[in-house]
Amino acid sequence: MGENSNSGTVPDAVHAGRSTEDAVQPQGHAVRTANLWKIYPQEPRPVEAVRGVDLVVENGEFVAMAGPSGSGKTTVLNLLGGLTGPTEGTVRIGGQEITALSDRELARVRLKRIGFVFQSYNLLPMLTAQENAEFTLLLRGVPARERRERVRNLFDEIGLEGMEDRFPLKLSGGQQQRVAVARAVLGEPDLVLADEPTANLDSATAEALLDVMEQLNRTRGTTFVFSTHDPRVMERAGRLIRLVDGRIADESTPDGA
Amino acid sequence: MVRFRTLAWLALRNLGRELRRSALTAAAMAIGLALLILSRTLADGAHEDWIDSGVRLGAGHVTINAPGHRDSESLDDRLTAAQLQASLAAVADGPTPDPPLASVRVSTRGLASSPEGALPAWIVGVDPAVELAFSRLGEEVVDGRYLEDGDRLHAYIGEGMAERLGVRTRSRMVLTAQAASGDIEGQLVRVAGIYRTGVEALDQSLVHIPLGTARSWLGVEGATSVAVLLAHSSYTDEVVEGVRDSADPADIEVVGWPDTHPDLYSALKLDDGGDWAFHFILFAIVALAILNAVFMSVLHRQREMGLLRALGLSGRETGLVVLIEGILLTLASGIVGVVLGLAVVWFFFRDGLDLSGLWPQDFNFGGVAFDPVLYPVIEVKHVVQSVIMTVAIGLSASAYPAWQAGRLDPAESVKVE
Repeated sequence: MGENSNSGTVPDAVHAGRSTEDAVQPQGHAVRTANLWKIYPQEPRPVEAVRGVDLVVENGEFVAMAGPSGSGKTTVLNLLGGLTGPTEGTVRIGGQEITALSDRELARVRLKRIGFVFQSYNLLPMLTAQENAEFTLLLRGVPARERRERVRNLFDEIGLEGMEDRFPLKLSGGQQQRVAVARAVLGEPDLVLADEPTANLDSATAEALLDVMEQLNRTRGTTFVFSTHDPRVMERAGRLIRLVDGRIADESTPDGA
Repeated sequence: MVRFRTLAWLALRNLGRELRRSALTAAAMAIGLALLILSRTLADGAHEDWIDSGVRLGAGHVTINAPGHRDSESLDDRLTAAQLQASLAAVADGPTPDPPLASVRVSTRGLASSPEGALPAWIVGVDPAVELAFSRLGEEVVDGRYLEDGDRLHAYIGEGMAERLGVRTRSRMVLTAQAASGDIEGQLVRVAGIYRTGVEALDQSLVHIPLGTARSWLGVEGATSVAVLLAHSSYTDEVVEGVRDSADPADIEVVGWPDTHPDLYSALKLDDGGDWAFHFILFAIVALAILNAVFMSVLHRQREMGLLRALGLSGRETGLVVLIEGILLTLASGIVGVVLGLAVVWFFFRDGLDLSGLWPQDFNFGGVAFDPVLYPVIEVKHVVQSVIMTVAIGLSASAYPAWQAGRLDPAESVKVE
């Protein structure tokens, strides 16, 4: 899979079905991979989890990766996020090549350029919703007043007003996942990687969460890349990439392109 | 700095979240430290008591005599009157806060005899008033009294000697020894009192007589030795050095109690070694408990560790969070342990720890009668050593889990349920 047809421009699909009045659509690559391989050395045979993936995600895209279990979706996300290193190939985030970086440099890239949303909420249980959401800002040395203000504004925007002081165990699954989304986008990263974010949510909550992420994509221009089995996510995606056996099998947009 | 503060804050919040686990781990360390402090202070108290007992019955913390006297025990190797005065002045000018007690002695080996028999004797002429404050002998009276100022032809003897010679208080007996002139001279004395130390060798041979009587009987003007009793054995080396520096080494010999009581010194070193071995075992157990608690905590929070990595912490910083948790736990344990340890020590200050039920009666070793009631003594150096040992063990036990936390694979860790 080479650079796709959307390379260098914001794909039409990103705009499909949405108002353009409040949309923010920055230009450039959020992610670009070249010949990405991930092989796990296992007995009796090494497992080729990702096999030669070439992928470009433009800034402001809302991309879903689908595929059967074991197709390599989560591994691709981990490679994009620098959580694991490739066996071969390169990953660029916002133009920066990350595969050769040290652990410390990778940590800085994750802090400043990438937001994560995981399937199992993954909030820090000893911190309140406010503290969870502002955690990356705290690590970046953003002053407390600014952190509070940004969290309050975002919480108001995504329906979490009044939840700031609650600990994760006192929040519903949907609320926890919204806090995780808030944490992922508050630092204004180049890219948010969401690994099956709706998998543990009921339909209504999942729809609401998708509304939130779609809204953030539209209003803030945040780039989202999902891995998912959920048809609701696929329906809303600006571009749908299908992975099979670690390779990109095909991709499509809502307009059929 | 901001980042370190954030990591410390995270560590603190982690400890607060698992308050019961944190408290149990800290309690194990604190109790271990408190036990260590109690054990050290009791051991220090017992050791000081043994030293005190040994030097009071013997040659003091510091002994001054003429060169060669310790080997020859001869009156020929004695301090002249001038050397004696110079030595006493040097002791009085010493570094101790209070002037030490110096007992001037004239001693010789001889024979104690009565109509019923004779025994070898270690005869010591002493100033009764000084010796009463110096020696424990005066406290060990079983019949009669200790020597008093004004006594002339009196002797204070041990129970063993009294039994062997068949004498009692007010009985008369004869002491015979070689005088300074080289002649064998006899001295008739009356038994003023009988003591029992529990140390058989002393009870059968040590005889105190007035210093004036010894001088005139043996023809000695100065003294054979000056025994110096200090407020604490730790001053020994300083006083020895001070007196040595004040005199010509050809005139006097100055030695500390380890040289005059080598058996006692060896026994203390042996006991110290045993104490450290015990403490090492105690803390190895505590260290394993801490290691287990912190390590289990890391495994339990593997997903959180992975999440921290995903959110922008490096492996080293993630490990640092765990290490800071260990440091905070250790500091808290150290403070609580010291307070708890000193509180227990304070409890034993008044009445001591009575081990008389466990010890045989008249238990003695190396010329020292052991007191079965142990009183703690706080030696700051040893308390600081105990705290350092606890902190070192706490940190060591946290270091491995911290290292493991730093090495976790973030991609795998975030998947752990």
